[in-house]
Amino acid sequence: MKKLHIPVEHTKLANGLRVVVSPDHSAPFVTVGVYYQIGFRLEPRGRSGFAHLFEHMMFQGSENAGKMEHIRLINASGGLLNGTTNYDITNYFESVPSNALERMLWLEADRMRSLKVDDENLRNQRDVVKEEVRVNVMNQPYGGFPWLDLPPVAFRNWPNAHNFYGDFNDLDAATLDDVQAFFRTYYSPNNAVLLMLGDLEPSEAFTFAKRYFDDIPAHALPPHADVSEPPQTEERRGEVEEKFGTLPALAIGYTVPPRTAKDWYAMAILDRVLHGGRAGRIHRQLVFEKQIAIGTEGGVDVFDANGPTQMVTQIYHRPEFTSDATIAAYDEVIREVQEKEISEDELAPVKVKFRADYYSMLEGGMGSHMPRFGLMHYLACFTLFDGDPDRINTVLDGFMAVTPAEVQAAAKKYLVPRNRAIVARRPVNAGEAR
Amino acid sequence: MTTPIVATKPQHSSPPALGPERPVAWPKRTVRTLANGMQVVLVEARTFPKISAQLFFRSGNASVAHTTPGLAEMTASVARTGTATRPLRRIEEDLRRMGADLAAVAGADSSAIGISGVAEFSEGLLEMLADLARNASFPEEEFERERRQRIEGLRIQRTTPDFLATERLRRVLFGKHPYAIVAPKEEQVAAYRRNQLEEFYRQNYAPANALLILVGDFSSEPMLAQVEKIFGAWKAPAPAQQKSPGPPRHSGRQVHLVHLPGSVQTQVLVGNLAITRGDPDWYRLVLANSIYGGAFHSRLVMNIREQKGYTYSPRSGISALREFGYFTVHAAVRNEVTAATLTEMFYEMDRIRSLPVTAQELESARSYLSGVFSLGVATQEGALSQLSTVYLDRLPEDYLETYRARIHALTAEDILAAARRHFDSANEQIVLVGDRAQISEQAALFGPITQYDAQGNRV
Repeated sequence: MKKLHIPVEHTKLANGLRVVVSPDHSAPFVTVGVYYQIGFRLEPRGRSGFAHLFEHMMFQGSENAGKMEHIRLINASGGLLNGTTNYDITNYFESVPSNALERMLWLEADRMRSLKVDDENLRNQRDVVKEEVRVNVMNQPYGGFPWLDLPPVAFRNWPNAHNFYGDFNDLDAATLDDVQAFFRTYYSPNNAVLLMLGDLEPSEAFTFAKRYFDDIPAHALPPHADVSEPPQTEERRGEVEEKFGTLPALAIGYTVPPRTAKDWYAMAILDRVLHGGRAGRIHRQLVFEKQIAIGTEGGVDVFDANGPTQMVTQIYHRPEFTSDATIAAYDEVIREVQEKEISEDELAPVKVKFRADYYSMLEGGMGSHMPRFGLMHYLACFTLFDGDPDRINTVLDGFMAVTPAEVQAAAKKYLVPRNRAIVARRPVNAGEAR
Repeated sequence: MTTPIVATKPQHSSPPALGPERPVAWPKRTVRTLANGMQVVLVEARTFPKISAQLFFRSGNASVAHTTPGLAEMTASVARTGTATRPLRRIEEDLRRMGADLAAVAGADSSAIGISGVAEFSEGLLEMLADLARNASFPEEEFERERRQRIEGLRIQRTTPDFLATERLRRVLFGKHPYAIVAPKEEQVAAYRRNQLEEFYRQNYAPANALLILVGDFSSEPMLAQVEKIFGAWKAPAPAQQKSPGPPRHSGRQVHLVHLPGSVQTQVLVGNLAITRGDPDWYRLVLANSIYGGAFHSRLVMNIREQKGYTYSPRSGISALREFGYFTVHAAVRNEVTAATLTEMFYEMDRIRSLPVTAQELESARSYLSGVFSLGVATQEGALSQLSTVYLDRLPEDYLETYRARIHALTAEDILAAARRHFDSANEQIVLVGDRAQISEQAALFGPITQYDAQGNRV
């Protein structure tokens, strides 16, 4: 087995900004990202959807780069860009030809230093975000399933349990003061990591980082918010009406151990035994063998969560099977993995696939237009959550060392009813197209 | 939190200039045609210990559209569910053992089996590819299961606005040409017979009809020898090519409204026939499209998203199929601004047909296309996709190497000419998917309306 080694260098500026660099001269591009340790979990109460709306505002103008200048400058440098809002992080990133590295740092520093937006920008982006919610959730079959459906059923602590895309009333209530307050509270260099990957010289990259970011003042961050969940004592269930789709669907979520737990690795491997595509036990039994389900998918991204998180299975099942019958068949799969240790013959291939998926994620992870997105993403998570970007080269060892007994133990401990939530999507038009 | 957050220094007030552009080393490739007619393209990409392979056959759903629509797609789905020596479960477990993902799909012009996995298993991965391409057994039970899944999938597709819009536009633009049909009807899937799949497979999954592209962590010479060993003995003739009736010509704008009751948005899709990649105008049109609506900083996105907030992701594009290409503009907008959106789409179209673009727009768009094109080489998936464009469309061998220079050589006059020729403003076909009670009055402003339901029936 050939061992992959990713070169990683890192430093911290005086203002607390962490800087991580990974050179790779195989193609003349660089991917640059800034990750802030703030996501929709910690958006203000009464302002659901705000973290995401705020992410849009970060493209609306900063002191020296007015509205659309970020986008125009990146496109005109030959690059592509995006930003995403997640539970615990918000990221801004671009892939550009490597001669544009310094310009990207200028842009990212300008918007870390200053956000210069007005009411019209806010009104405009509020409209855009509403259309985003309509196109992705309200006007699509299975829109928001299960990522918006499960948290309010599974969790009790508001940070974990609210509507992350935002109620329209809350979006309407957001003001420019909210925007600037959020910026002042969380968008500080000591709450962020800057990543530069690709065709660059580390010493030059660090020089640029210092040139553009060093004088951005740090400020005190708010005390760490408590996002923990009260203990769960029984299974939780919910139902959502499916307006368009014709098949009933189920989402079953189990809360997984935190990234600091010893059985974090075993849980991730267990996830792949169960999900892991068409060879996974759930798809094989429910779709191929019993033919109760038309499709299943699921899994957990253990790397990018830093708070209560679930392994989620989605099952789209035939209407002639009730949801109870479907859950019973699912429970049989769960029981098997709890009662009988999995064989080495099953575990070894699961680990190979885990390794392969890790490589694919590092290489791309967001389509070929954003090379090394995954490498950037994992480096950011390891830096912000674990304080250790070098974990990129060692984390696989932990997964490769998981034993059958540990997988079984994780199944017994976590795959229990009092650790799970189930949401059913019930079609209004079962069995026929609208 | 009392520190002032704005602390701009003079050196920060304008963006630094770009450094000198670094050369792009396009992947060195080995291109061979085996004695059995199979074309092979090998590219070394050694950063990650992975390999990606795609085996194409130059026959897709268009070749069966008039007899059994969607049969190529169904053939691909079932071909991966069993071979003479491997039942379904064994196939899936073998793939996992090699860390592999597999996809078997068919588009209008081709069918493809793609596999990617860990490089140390490249021999096994190629053997799997060959097994699926040559020895598929089409198990009865898997065929019935896949058929049922396909029918359920079609029902859900028929509730998805962008699918319905594309389906209708293709019908309108292509008329009696096979490209008119993007998906079969339920009853057509229900009528497939297993031997039709076998027959499509036997006729089209043939080495003389095949293109194999391999990108990954390997050395080309030994890899070529391995490909020869695994695929060399396979003999079968290429299928006969078919002639199809040409697409219709449209005169004047027409509106095609697909009624979706309860829709909280309108899916707007406007289009006209354009050109394929082999056309001398191709690069000009690509650049014109990029300025019109093909990029985030394009005029259309600036206008209807960043100024007016009508929509989240408006875009224009050129779809190049093998025989014909077409130009489209799309946006999902709130119902009240359906007419306003169309007005702006046509305004921007007429503007780029009337006046030359500015020097800054020209420069930005050229750099954008050139830079984004070069990003494609940085991943195995990206390289594979670029190479498949070159070899499936039979473009010149130096297409990748010369693309950037060709883009940089274009002028504002080129863009004006291409926009006038290929953005057919006066004759655009307008598809609207939404609730007719909310939008038909607005739709009527743009031309005569024909209405359909989600099943494609006229209402």
